[in-house]
Amino acid sequence: MGILGKARAKSPWILHFDAGACNGCDIEVIACLTPVYDVERFGMMNIGNPKHADILLVTGTCNLRNARVLKNLYAQMPEPKAVVAIGACALSGGVFHECYNVLGGVEGIIPVDVWVPGCAPKPEAIIEGAVMAVQRMQERASGKVQPSEDESEDEHA
Amino acid sequence: MNPIALGALTLVIAPILGGLLMGLDRRITARLQNRLGPPILQPFYDVGKLMGKQPVACNSFQGVAASLYLMTSVLALLMFVLGQDLLVLLFVLALGAVMLILGGFSVKSPYSQLGSQREVLQMLAYEPLLVLMVVGVYLQTGSFSANSVLALDRPLLLTMPIFLVTQTLVIGIKLHKSPFDVSASHHAHQELVRGIYTEFSGLQLALIELAHFYELVLLLGFVWFLWHTNWLVGAALALAAYFSTILMDNVTARMTWRWLVSFMWTWGIGLAVANLAAIYFMLRVPR
Amino acid sequence: MGELAWLGRLNVGGLAGVLILAPVLTGLVVFLVRTKWSRKGIVTGTGWILSLGALALFGFGAVRRDTVSFMPPQIPGISWDAVVTGLDLLLIVGFVAIGFLLRRPIVAALAVLQAGLVLWVELSHSVRLEHPPLYVDWLAIIMVMIVSVIGSIVAVYGLPYMKEHEKHLGIPDTASKRPRFFLTILIFLGAMNGLVLSDNLLWLFFFWEVTTLCSFLLIRHDETADAEANAFRALWINMAGGVLFAGGLVVLSHAVGAVSIQRIVESRASVVTNPIALVGLGLLCVAGFTKAAQMPFHSWLLGAMVAPTPVSALLHSSTMVKAGVYLIARLAPAFHDTAMSDMIAVAGGFTFAAAALLAIGQTNAKKVLAYSTISNLGLIIACAGLNSPLSMAAAVMLIIFHAISKALLFMAAGVVEHGIWSRDIEDMQGLVSRMPLTTLTMVIGILSMLLPPFGVLIAKLAAIEASVRMPAALLLLVVGSTLTVMFWTKWTGRLLTADPSVVFPRIEHLHSMYFVPLLMLTIGALGFSLMVVPLLTQLIVPAVAQYYRSVQSDVTTLVQFDNVLGVPWALVFGVLALAVLWPLLYFRGPRTQRTGVYLCGEQVETAATTTFRTAAETAVPVTIRGHYFERAVGETVHARWMMTVSIAALVLMLGAAFLQR
Repeated sequence: MGILGKARAKSPWILHFDAGACNGCDIEVIACLTPVYDVERFGMMNIGNPKHADILLVTGTCNLRNARVLKNLYAQMPEPKAVVAIGACALSGGVFHECYNVLGGVEGIIPVDVWVPGCAPKPEAIIEGAVMAVQRMQERASGKVQPSEDESEDEHA
Repeated sequence: MNPIALGALTLVIAPILGGLLMGLDRRITARLQNRLGPPILQPFYDVGKLMGKQPVACNSFQGVAASLYLMTSVLALLMFVLGQDLLVLLFVLALGAVMLILGGFSVKSPYSQLGSQREVLQMLAYEPLLVLMVVGVYLQTGSFSANSVLALDRPLLLTMPIFLVTQTLVIGIKLHKSPFDVSASHHAHQELVRGIYTEFSGLQLALIELAHFYELVLLLGFVWFLWHTNWLVGAALALAAYFSTILMDNVTARMTWRWLVSFMWTWGIGLAVANLAAIYFMLRVPR
Repeated sequence: MGELAWLGRLNVGGLAGVLILAPVLTGLVVFLVRTKWSRKGIVTGTGWILSLGALALFGFGAVRRDTVSFMPPQIPGISWDAVVTGLDLLLIVGFVAIGFLLRRPIVAALAVLQAGLVLWVELSHSVRLEHPPLYVDWLAIIMVMIVSVIGSIVAVYGLPYMKEHEKHLGIPDTASKRPRFFLTILIFLGAMNGLVLSDNLLWLFFFWEVTTLCSFLLIRHDETADAEANAFRALWINMAGGVLFAGGLVVLSHAVGAVSIQRIVESRASVVTNPIALVGLGLLCVAGFTKAAQMPFHSWLLGAMVAPTPVSALLHSSTMVKAGVYLIARLAPAFHDTAMSDMIAVAGGFTFAAAALLAIGQTNAKKVLAYSTISNLGLIIACAGLNSPLSMAAAVMLIIFHAISKALLFMAAGVVEHGIWSRDIEDMQGLVSRMPLTTLTMVIGILSMLLPPFGVLIAKLAAIEASVRMPAALLLLVVGSTLTVMFWTKWTGRLLTADPSVVFPRIEHLHSMYFVPLLMLTIGALGFSLMVVPLLTQLIVPAVAQYYRSVQSDVTTLVQFDNVLGVPWALVFGVLALAVLWPLLYFRGPRTQRTGVYLCGEQVETAATTTFRTAAETAVPVTIRGHYFERAVGETVHARWMMTVSIAALVLMLGAAFLQR
């Protein structure tokens, strides 16, 4: 891990996208920024702009309306990047799984690197998920893991 | 010192100093918010990471804008260190600022367009104050060159006390600190999409961040000038100005551009002119 | 230098005759021989004659290295003084006729007033022949170069422009008004050359009024109601200026007993202590204010933009308005170190700042350019009013660089107008994707007006340095510079707002007579800025030293120019060029991925687009508009107080003549 890799590990900027959550997970994600958890300790910043972001945190289910938005945001993030799906809904659709408009979890729409289960997951779990995503991103950038972009595209669409 | 060695030294030391100060800023801001905050070296990690990102651009002018912004900041700082003309320096700095604005304008994005429109207004707010400060220097030394200040045997602050205040305001505007952060916020956690910087990413954003390091050192250098006779006092003044902008950032909220422009053009310019008038009367500047 | 010595032996009277009369004669040929090819050939040829003549005059000055007062070529049986007087009266009769034809009694009244005043000077004094009426020094040579070269470039550019213009208006070739148009343009150039070479103020007055007539005819060219109204306004304001000019002449000829600029400047010691003589000079300066479209007289230049663009390019850059600042700069040594001079600086500085403020609120590109011209001329006049060697050098530098940049900008605006048939800055949004070449020249033109390392800015630095001794002027210059940056930046921003779907814009096809003039002026703007140091030391400082020598003997040592000469401009240019080039090479090709703009992920597809889907799933294109802050800086908001202040400044200026230092 060279200087670049260290810098990458120390400065993951986060884009948080609420696909269709009940806001429980979102509150926990925001809680990570508070003095109690303070993710900025790890250089993490909540950046609302995919062009600046390294890690995409997705909460909530994907549905017919927001799948396109999620894909667009993911596409606008420059490489290397990683995706964390947070909470039951983002993993599988959760309690909304059977709804007429719900496509399910995030995985069918964009490739996911880290799954953080829970309804809602604790901030500690979210932070750990983000840290794991940074490791995945590192491995991918250093060529150990091939990008997984094509494997799950448009499965549900 | 040999000017080439001095220039090379500046090229290396200034970004380190600027980056550390920026890191300190983030640390202090976090402490003011009862958080631990990132490591002091965080700004360097950010720049390093941005450099390693995949190059993405909306058009080829963005890169030119970012590069010119960095280059003019470096050039301005070099001119400052090498004792060149301060007025030319300010307009070189303005060239960079205009280029950054044009870079924001070059993308047909609502966010960066709005950011650029507002950056124009920010420039309108601080530019006269910088020029007036340099004029204040000229009134006492008879020259615009930075070297002439060093030749002066008394600190400038004694005759230009108000310019310490205006220069602090200018630093606040230049660094996009609250309440002056109308075009974009200095810290990401105060604003999400980030105005004029929205469409810059990867290496281009890294260049802009690096330019900020140089610019910060230059702006603090102007404050240091106010007490050049003892470099420790000068440095203390510069740090005091810097920390007051940080404090201001944390205890105020963003104001509107109308407020910004009218505040700077009444209070800012008014105070600066009052100080200049005092110098005219005190020194009886010959016609 | 040896082989060029013949230049010093040139018959300068003949040369002046060529520079003044050749365009008039060729203009008549263009007017009479109505074929397309003859027009093209003759106008281009006249351009060459004028440029070569100006070059020869330059060589003459370079070899002689001194000022020369001279007579026009002697022709037995002809007294040139009588000819000029006769033509002057004929011109005034013409004005009276225009007044009657247009049913504008004020024009006729002003003309009669002028005639009366001129005859008063003619009859009451026989001061005319004791001093040769023509005079050449470096300032005159610089002005002749500007008029002849830039004026010719604009005339050549006018050839294709007027053709397209008439095609757009649906005027058939048989009824073409182009012969008259080019006749007027060429006479205009001749008159300007005459104006800057005249030493006798009565001669200068004649040429002054010829430019008034020509500008009237050119503004009126399209003969729409709008054009008629604005041409009339330009006419009466400039004729009122002419009345002030003639009035100033009457006062001066009585108070000083001379109508030669050299004589007046030489007798400075008695002039500055004589309030009446100062008032005479003040009236001439106010006449200069009208010609240079300074507040409160600026409305005629704004109205003049209804004229075809070559006319604007000519009026704003090398001719007409420059005549006004030339007169003030020329007379400046005579009122050096007076309270009146200081008031001129304040009045000019006020126009500089006020016009820049009003320019922010304009969406019409030509109107922005017009306000910018007014503003810059205000700066030049402020420099003349500051009246020190440094400020004078700044003024001369501004005259040169402003002429180049403004001609370039107007010509580019004209090309754009014929490309998109609009003058609105909002319609020019994204022009870089549609007309990249023209946009490039336009952006270079704009940047050359306000940023380092271009000449206008370097002159502005010198102006600020010179103004430090006068706090009021200084504050106005600082404020004005900031406002200037604002409106230019906003405009450039609109031009550069690229269409994301166009990755490589197709270079538009430009008529060669558009392309070559644009290229020449772009190279001029860049080249002269690059050579600013030699230009300053070799040309401008000697020019100022020469016409300023009666005031301060050794100007060269007084013009320190630390802030210009101390900066390694070539290095700055090099670094900046590098900073422009490497990203162009680096951020291209397969390495850099093109991406769309950020639209919250709602863009219709991921490709480069600016259409997004609303909550109702309808696709809506992003609309972007510039901000013009109409409520804060609209023309009507500020009209009243600006008029009041500028009129007050003029009154104070004339009143200051009675303040003794």
